[in-house]
Order: sequence, then structure tokens, then C-alpha cells
Amino acid sequence: MTFPNALILQLAIATPLAAALVIALGLPKRFSVKLAAVAFVVPAVMALWLWSQFPAGAGARYAFTSQTSTGLDAFGISLHLGLNGIALPMFVLAGVVGAAAGLYALRSGAERLKIYLMLLLIMQGGLMGVFASIDLFFFYFFHELALIPTFIMVGTWGGRDRNYAAMKMTIYLTAGAMLSLLGLIALYVKSGADSFDLLVLRDQIAAEGLRSTWGKYIFGALMFGFGTLVSLWPLHTWAPLGYGAAPSSAAMLHAGVLKKFGLYGLIQIALPLLPDGAAHWVWVLALLAGLGNVLVIGFITIAQRDLKQMIGYSSVMHMGYCFLGIATLSLAGAGGVILLMFAHGLSVALLFMLATSVHHRTHTFELSEMGGLAQKAPVLAAFFVAGTLASIGLPGFANFWGELTIFVALWNFSPWLSAVAVGGIIISAVYGLRAAAQVFFGPPSEQVQNATAKLPFPDLEWNERLPALILLAVLFFIGFWPRALSGPVDGTLREIYPAVETRAPACSCAYR
Amino acid sequence: MPPVVSAYLILLLPLLSAAVISLFLRKQGTLASWISVGAAGALAVLSLHLVFSGARNFPATLEWLRFGSFAVSLDLKFDDLAALMLFVVSIVGFFIHLFSLGYMRDDAAKARYFAGLSIFMFSMLGIVLAGNLFMIFVFWELVGFSSYLLIGHWHERPSAADAAKKAFIVNRVGDFGFLLGIIWCYWIFGTTNLDALARAVGPGGVVVSAGLPLLLFCGAVGKSAQMPLHVWLPDAMEGPTPVSALIHAATMVAAGVYMLCRVNMLMVPEALSVIACVGTITAFYAALCAVVQRDIKRVLAYSTLSQLGYMITAFGLGSLAQQHDGHNVVLATGVGAAMFHLTTHGFFKALLFLGAGSAIIACHHEQDIFKLGGLRQKMPVTFWTFTAGVAAIIGLPGLAGFFSKDAILYLAWEKNLGIFTMLALTAVLTAFYMVRMWKLVFFGEPRGEAAAHARESGLFMTLPLVVLAALSIVGGYTGVFDRLAGELASWVPKAEGSAHLIILLISLAVMLTGAVSAWLFYLPAATDSLETRLPLAFSGLMTLKESFDSIYDYFVAKVQQRFAMLLNFFEQIFLAGLIVRGLAGVTGLVGLGLRALHVGNLHAYVYWFLLGVVLLWGFATGIF
Repeated sequence: MTFPNALILQLAIATPLAAALVIALGLPKRFSVKLAAVAFVVPAVMALWLWSQFPAGAGARYAFTSQTSTGLDAFGISLHLGLNGIALPMFVLAGVVGAAAGLYALRSGAERLKIYLMLLLIMQGGLMGVFASIDLFFFYFFHELALIPTFIMVGTWGGRDRNYAAMKMTIYLTAGAMLSLLGLIALYVKSGADSFDLLVLRDQIAAEGLRSTWGKYIFGALMFGFGTLVSLWPLHTWAPLGYGAAPSSAAMLHAGVLKKFGLYGLIQIALPLLPDGAAHWVWVLALLAGLGNVLVIGFITIAQRDLKQMIGYSSVMHMGYCFLGIATLSLAGAGGVILLMFAHGLSVALLFMLATSVHHRTHTFELSEMGGLAQKAPVLAAFFVAGTLASIGLPGFANFWGELTIFVALWNFSPWLSAVAVGGIIISAVYGLRAAAQVFFGPPSEQVQNATAKLPFPDLEWNERLPALILLAVLFFIGFWPRALSGPVDGTLREIYPAVETRAPACSCAYR
Repeated sequence: MPPVVSAYLILLLPLLSAAVISLFLRKQGTLASWISVGAAGALAVLSLHLVFSGARNFPATLEWLRFGSFAVSLDLKFDDLAALMLFVVSIVGFFIHLFSLGYMRDDAAKARYFAGLSIFMFSMLGIVLAGNLFMIFVFWELVGFSSYLLIGHWHERPSAADAAKKAFIVNRVGDFGFLLGIIWCYWIFGTTNLDALARAVGPGGVVVSAGLPLLLFCGAVGKSAQMPLHVWLPDAMEGPTPVSALIHAATMVAAGVYMLCRVNMLMVPEALSVIACVGTITAFYAALCAVVQRDIKRVLAYSTLSQLGYMITAFGLGSLAQQHDGHNVVLATGVGAAMFHLTTHGFFKALLFLGAGSAIIACHHEQDIFKLGGLRQKMPVTFWTFTAGVAAIIGLPGLAGFFSKDAILYLAWEKNLGIFTMLALTAVLTAFYMVRMWKLVFFGEPRGEAAAHARESGLFMTLPLVVLAALSIVGGYTGVFDRLAGELASWVPKAEGSAHLIILLISLAVMLTGAVSAWLFYLPAATDSLETRLPLAFSGLMTLKESFDSIYDYFVAKVQQRFAMLLNFFEQIFLAGLIVRGLAGVTGLVGLGLRALHVGNLHAYVYWFLLGVVLLWGFATGIF
């Protein structure tokens, strides 16, 4: 019973990688496109299947597990795969966003399409692997496997400033990854477990503990290392620039999924293993995220005049909510972060994709040159407005539940910070609705009239509509039935988070 | 059918209609409109059945989300308060749907419009039936979204797109406080379930500070458009007229008052005083603004603001000790009076807006009351029903508005004479601007080409007018209201003895003063007489009206925008410029190396990448 599902999990990672290999070996272009289409969709279907098969009441246990030796057993490294309630949502996210980004790329008209698709397939394979890895070495390995194609895609297929953007992204993300690798290695060494296996590490630390002075430094390294990867203020400047330049499918996969690696690492690894270390850092993290990511970046987002930059900055702002949820050191906070990561991944992918669709029709990202596109492309307008409303946290979309849970958890940490975070809902409404109105409403601008006059069919075509529908459908599903996701997450957090919650700062919510 | 099933069905029908229309019927406007009207009709029948079947307080709960001890569920709470509100929303809502069939017949985006109406009904019914504060908030935000959709229906007009955006953002400002209040409430009581809250604050229970109810009140300030967040409502007139009727009469703005009545148990005296003051100021301010409006819908918009001020004031005046069945008991008169006025206002304001809509469509979207005129003979049904609405809102004895307004005036008389005076003055102004509008639109000679050729509207539009006129006439009588409101009706303050006579005389005098002076003042009516005869007063009132918008515009343009630009400037200079270049300098070696690899040849990148992978794997598996 469990064996086929474990095999499916392995296949979900292997399919895109195998397809990439076949394409690299010289498959003709038209077959390559078809093969890529299948290889993009298969992991998504498998991930959804595994979601439906996820055992209720799994608790902290991993489901669909398998362990394969890689010849590195001497270092305590093996390919140990499986999903728990924290990993499951991210795995599904990787599958769904991968399918949408891949399908969109098929007809993106990119030059040297074969190589582009191959890199995307490698990226998706890496992403599926990241969240299915129980072994920290492979967790890191798969992340790098997904990260490197991003740099190449930005540098090669990117838009304006692509070389500078690729350079900056590479420097920042490599530095962040190095720092977190340092933290992981320190964890390996200091725990004395002689294993990179998360479960072994957990048992070892639970049994013998970690010297708390080291816990503090290791958590610090992980926090800033992972934080850089997730664009923690002020280490965020690579993000808007990089996403502004990245080709849309790469931006969808990176902003939507790969960026969540850092947050996932903090929730799955750093907090449960190093709760004492985390307690030293929560206020630093909360203030950087609350004042930096939410407030400062929120206002900076309002000032953006370029649609893609605006989406990039808004994504940095929403990562602030995730850090705030983590800083609460609470079950609800972590749960809210997982929900928000999932929802944000879908909505930001949708927005990056549709921004490119807008660009195809108007040949500009400048908000001031746009206007009235809704009359020419009502379906595009409807999807874009839906994506905007999702990202600004309207109920009915998954994002709302994540934000709400984080706000609630945050009040117990600090009511004032909770007020700052909730204030973010006004800021995001201002920039989100302003951008939507400038692009789509009012009379058509000159630029829009000139550009759309030449198009035979200016509204969304099927190759754009299908990925958008996939992303939106999942956003709606969780928006209306959040339990489908919160159930597994809660089940796992309940077993591994009680120890974390005892380290949370004293409750300050008692006033009436 | 068990009541739980009916209640969930009432909630789901409009959602289903909206989903079907937006997924499949985007281009079939007529079919879409009938589906939406059908859903509204079916839910109205179900609601009537549920309200009059007497089923109350049946348990219904469904868990939505849970993280540890934090849970949000889809609870339903159906008591007399919810039953009354359900009646108003579903009946008024249905007739607005019906009216829309006629009004929006030739609209290009009819399907989107009717899907919007359905989603609006869904959101509003969710608030009505919600059993906990988190659920109220979910639907509360959805109401904001629905109004965004409908106010911005004609999005190609910049003014409509702006109005929609403004409505959403201003509402979010209110929601900011509301959500904080809800979260605070959750941490104090460990729950936001309304029944559990009522038990927790019961005798000897938890006492909360004024901060909590005031934060919750922020939500009502936004949604019920109280000062200083009232600015979105007059602009919301950019939407189609039936939408204005829906927003102003039965749904959105009423939601704020209804929510306050829902959380009545959390109120403390200090908070109530603030609420009463805000309501009174809004009522008076909006009535002043209404006097100088030329647009028929804007007059009605300001009158809505003013009447909402009445309801909020009534709520803020709070409970009263009264003789009841021979005993002296403390009754929640604030809730009773506010809900009574909400109900009658729901009827007559929907009637007035739909009547205005009927006149507007007959005059080819002419909305300036100085260009209308003489519609009395041309549109008899509209005229007579509109007259009933005007009579009700100015408080002509015997009509619905008279009873509910008197209940509020009496409550104010008992509790606070200052507020009473302000409300009485507001009533003078109400009579003045309503009669002014009524006279200018329906009497005299037509003053415009469009008005001269007006014809009575069709049956889809006149039928709702007749039904709503009937409700505006009889809605205030105890025989009708008590059957609808159940226990709630006994909370409506009733003046006894000499107080009764005094209130009656004062309200009569007030109404006649306003009405007669308007009639005389606007006898010639070719231009705005107030502007020509009393230019100083006129410009003063105009300034008063515009002052809020200019303050907000100033804030947005000069403070918010400049602050954002300043931060952006620092972001670009310090972070992008100095720190990154600095870091690049530090890691110059890495940079140089990378640049050497940037040979601009794609294959080179791929080979480097593959080489790296092979090396990594080789190293990892111990080959090297």
C-alpha cells in the first residue's frame, strides 16, 4: 500500500529531471515540447494524488517514505524521501506552480526554446526534491539544483538590466545559501548525530540537547542565510531587480516556490531543532520583518511605477508576514506561515505570468503608459484583478487564511506589531488596486490603443488561460475550504511545536 | 426541510448563481440575469419560510480551519435579530434584482453585473447568518469586494473606477480597526462565538475596557460610512442605480449597524457615548451637505448618510429602563430603535433609489434635478410611489419612517437633550432637502429635453416600486413589525403620556417647517434658489461638503505619496547603490570569476552547469 505511493513521490522528482536529460541528449524540438508538457504536468498530478492520499492523523511521522543509499553512508547521507504535514503543502505548491509555469513557457516564444524548457525542467525537479527531502544534504542539494538554472535563465532570457540583475541575484543568493549551509553543517557537527538525516538529528537533539550557546549562533546563521534567500529586509534588494529582469516562467518558479525554501527551512528544521537559539533572535527577526518588510517595503511598493517591480516589491512585503509568523514561535504562527507560503506562491506566480501577458499586449511595463486594457481584454482583466485581490488578502482566496492566522498569532507576541502587520492590509489595498486600475480601467491609453490595434485577438489565449485557471482554482479551493490544507499542517505541528511554544516570549495580551 | 438546511441553502444559492454565471454564461447576459433573479427569488421564498416558521437558534457549525487552539468555523446564529435582517435583505434584495432586469436590459456587461449582484447577496447573507466574529469579518470583506465590483461596473469611466477603488480602500481603513478588535476579543475570551461571548460577559463575567468595543466600532464607521470615513459613499453613486439601492438600503451600509447590534453585549458606557456622538455629527453634517446637491442620487446618498447617523446614534444611546408588562426592566432600546429604523429605512430608501432610477432611465441618464421637472403626469406610478417614500423619510405621521424616527427621538429625549436637539434639526433639514428634490423632479415644467419626453418605466421596474411603497407605508405598524422582529420589537422604546405628545408635536413641527420652507423656496425653481438668494450660505455648505475630500486628497498626494517616494529614494540610493556595490567590492574576486564565465555564449553556461552538477555528484558519491 505505501510502496506505490513512495514510488510516486520518487517519480514526481525524477520525471522532470529525466525529461530534461532526454531533451539534452538531442531530442528534436517538436518532440521536446511535447515531452516537456507531459513532464511539467505529471509531477503536479502526482503531488495532488499524494495530497489526497496523505494519511489523516499522521502526526509528526513522514508518509510515502523511501531511503536509498548513495554511497555516502559514511557521512550519514542518504537519499531519504518522504512528506510530513509541513512538507506536503510545499510539495503540492511546487507541482502546481511548476505545471503552470511550464505550460506557460511552452508557447512563450523564447529563443532557443529547447534549452529554456530543459532548464525549467531541472528547476522543477529540484523543487520537487527540496520539499520531499528528509536528509538535509539532499535538501540543500536539490535547492542548488533549482537555483543555478534561475541564474542562467535570468542572465540569458532576461529583460532590461539582465546581466546586472543576474549578477546581483547570484551574489546574494549564493551568499545566503553559503551561510545557511554553514548553519546546517554546524548543526551536523554540534549535534553529534553524525547524520544529515533530519529525523536522526531530531532524536539526537531531543535526547542529548545542544549546547545552547551554539544553538544561538547556528540559528543566527540559518536565520540570516535563509532570510537572504527569502528577501528579509535589508537583504532583499536582489528580489525586485531579479524578478523584474527574469523571464516569466523563471520568476514564477523562483518567487512562487524556490524562495520559500528559506522559510520552509526555518519552520521544518531551525525552529524545532533550535528553539532555544530561536528565542534569542525573535525580536530581531520581528522588527526587521515588521518595520522593514511590511512597513518600509509596503510604502516603497506604493511608489513603484513599473508593474513587474511593483509585484516584486509586494512579494517582498508579504514575506515580511511570513517572518513575523515565524517570530511568534507558536503553532498558529507557523501554521499561518505555511498557508501563506502556499497561497502567496500561487498568487505571485499568477501575477508575474499575467504581467507578462499584459506586456505582450501593450509592450510596456510602465503603469503610466497603460490604461483601459479591460475593454480590449476582459478575461485578462478578470484574472489579473482576481490575482491582485488574492495577494491583498481578500477572503475567498487562500492568502486570507494565512494572513489572518499570522495576525492572530502575532497579537499574542506583541499587539503593537500586530497592529503594524494589520496596517499592511491598507497598504496592500492601495498599491494593488491602484495598479489594477491603472492597467485595466478608464479609457484605453494611446499606448494600449496602438499596441492592441495590431493584435488579431487581444484577450487571453488558451495557453495563457489554462495556467491561470490552474493557479486560481487552487487559490479558490483553499480559500473556501482551508481545512484541506490546515488539517495535515496542524497534525504535524501539534507534535513537534509544543517544545517551540514554551520558548515564546511571555504573553502580553492579557489587558482587557 | 430542516431549518439548518434552509439556512445553508440561502447562503449557497447566490454563490452558486455567481459561480455559474462567471464560469459559463459570460456572454449570455439574458440567461445570466434570469439565473441571478431566480436565485434571489428562491432564497427570498426560503427566507420567508424560515423567518415565519419560528425556527430559531438551531445549532449549525462547521470547522473551517484549525491550528492548535485557534479555530475558525462556519457557525450560523439565527435569532430574532438575524431573522429580521434576513427578511429585509432578501425581500429588498429580490426586488432590486427584479428592477435590474428592466434597468440593465441593454447593458453590454449584463452577465458581470448580475454575477456581481449575486455575490453581493451571498456576502451580505453571510454577515446576517454569521455566528462568530471571524466569520462576520470574512463576509464583511467580501461585501467590500462586491461593492468594488458593482460600483466599478462601468470601469471605462475613470470616475467609476476611482469610486470603486476609494470604496474598497476606505472600507479597509475601517476593517483595520475591526480586525484588531476581533483579534483582541479572541485573546481575551478565547473565542469569538457570539453565544459564548454573551455567556462570558454575563453577570459576574469579564469586563472589557472601552478600547475593544471602539475598535469593533471602527468596522461600522467604515461600512456604515460614518464620519470621518463617510467619503466613499457619495462617490459610490457612480455605480448603476439599482446598485446604489442595494448598497444604501438593505445591505452594505446596514451591515455596520447590524454588526454593532450583534456585539451589543461587549459595549460599555464610554464607548456608547463616543458612538452616539459620531452618529449625531454624521447625521447633521450629511443633512447639511444634502441641501446643496444637484444630482438626484447624491441627494439620496447624503440622506442615507444622515439616516445611518440616526441609527448609529440610536444604538449609542443604549439601554433604557422602561415599564414592561407592569415591571420596570432595562431594555436594549438602542438595539431595538436602531434595528427598527434600519428596517423601515431599508424599505423607503430602496424605494427612493429605485424611483430615482426609474426617473433617470426615463430621462436618458439625466441626473441633475434642475434639468428634470414635470414628471408627475408623465410617470404617475413612479411619482406616487416616490411620494410615499418621501413622506416616509421625512416622517409624515402614519408612515413607517414616522414610527421609527419617533422611537429614536424619544430615546434621545430621555437620554440626552443635546443629541435630541441635533437630531430634531437634522429632521428639519431632511424634510427640506427631500421636498426640494421631490418638487424639482416631479412638479413644474420640464426643464430639459430629456425630461420633456419621459415615459413611465415597464413592469419590471414599477412592480418593485409598488411593493416597496406598500412596505414603506405599513412597515412601521406594530402588526407588521412585531411579527417580523419577534422579541426585538419589545426593545423598541415607546413614548408614554406627556412625552408621547411632546415628541409628536415637535416632530410634526419640525417636518412641516422643513417641508413648507422648501416648497416655498423652490417655487420658481429654474436655478438653485439657495445659490442665488443666499450665496454665502450656499458656498459655505459646498466648502463643508468638499473639505473632507480635500483633506484626504491632500493626505494621499502630499503625505502618503511623498513618504513613499522618499523611502523609495533611500532604497535605491543606499541599498541598491552603496551596500550592494560595497558587497560587490568585497566579493570582487567572486565577481571577477563569474564575469569570466559570462562569455555570452549560452552553451558555455549550460556546460558549466552540467560540469558543476557532475563534479558535485562525483564528489558526493566519493568518486573523486
